[in-house]
Amino acid sequence: MKEHGKLREQLSLAAAGVLAPDDEQRVLQHAASCAECAAELEEWRLLAGSLRRLPTPQPRGEVVERAIARAAMRLNEEIEQRAHRRLMISLVAFAWIVTLASWPVFRWVSGDVLVWIDPRFNHMWMCFAVVTVFLWATGGLAAVLLAQRRQSERRLA
Amino acid sequence: MDMIGGAATAWEGGLVGLESDVAQLRRGDLDALTALVTRYQNRLYRYLLRLVRQPADAEDLFQQTWVRVAERIGKYDPQRNFDAWLFSVARNLAIDHLRRVRPESLDEPVAGEIEGETKVARLASHDQLALDGILERERAGRIGTLLGELPVSYREVLTLRFEEEMKLEEIAEVLDMPISTVKTQLRRSLLRMRQMIETRYPNEDWNAFA
Repeated sequence: MKEHGKLREQLSLAAAGVLAPDDEQRVLQHAASCAECAAELEEWRLLAGSLRRLPTPQPRGEVVERAIARAAMRLNEEIEQRAHRRLMISLVAFAWIVTLASWPVFRWVSGDVLVWIDPRFNHMWMCFAVVTVFLWATGGLAAVLLAQRRQSERRLA
Repeated sequence: MDMIGGAATAWEGGLVGLESDVAQLRRGDLDALTALVTRYQNRLYRYLLRLVRQPADAEDLFQQTWVRVAERIGKYDPQRNFDAWLFSVARNLAIDHLRRVRPESLDEPVAGEIEGETKVARLASHDQLALDGILERERAGRIGTLLGELPVSYREVLTLRFEEEMKLEEIAEVLDMPISTVKTQLRRSLLRMRQMIETRYPNEDWNAFA
């Protein structure tokens, strides 16, 4: 009796075709020997069938065309932005490489050449390194903040 | 056997075509965009219409969905099921719309019109099979009307399963909920639908809905 109640609860899911094969088999076997469940399963099947056969509404042609046009415009903007982003990342990476490469050069110039003029130039490369890191970090942060702001503005628009 | 083989080949061909369209769209191909909109236009519109019930809103959301797809296709993971991804994009927009437009009564029934009735369906009543057409329309109209009166969470699970013919896993992906919850939701939706039929048409034979 308990099994009957349990299987009866699954009749609708069997008609919906979402039970695992083993569970479905159990439900069908039970329905084959239980007239009450067999009748109920049939009713669920009729309901499922009528839901499957509901007419499909179609969007108007001009709506589809407008959707394509609007999406195409957005896609082009997106591609352009992606290209800009790639270019920006390449430029920033290049700038950092040049900056980092300039540190040993500057160190050599200040430590080996300028030190002849004034010994205080010996540590000047460190100041140069600190200043460049500070400038680039500030610039990078500003760029990220601006990009985030533009993105949120675009989303709101 | 050949017919089954042919159908399977056509189905696989369709899948390959879909994958290729999605891959091309990710590269920014506008032809692929047109192909995808054309491929999904009826299914997506129907789903949106079931959710928001108003054709004008569904049309607007249909356009917004494709704009959102164009925005996000770069972030789409090709390992994911495209149908589920597309429908979840549409669903999020529709739910936002419903919250914005009718936050106080998301599930009020829309009286009057037979939901989903097309001109083709209407014209069918004028041909030789007029009586069959009328009966069929009436049945579909009843079911469509009752479906429209269900809460949105029930409507969407029913339309995804029976109209979109999605598997439980796909529905779970669209609705962003566990499979067990989808099953429960599906069972409750069917039960509610059945109760509504029995209340509204107490003396009707179930075959009238077949």
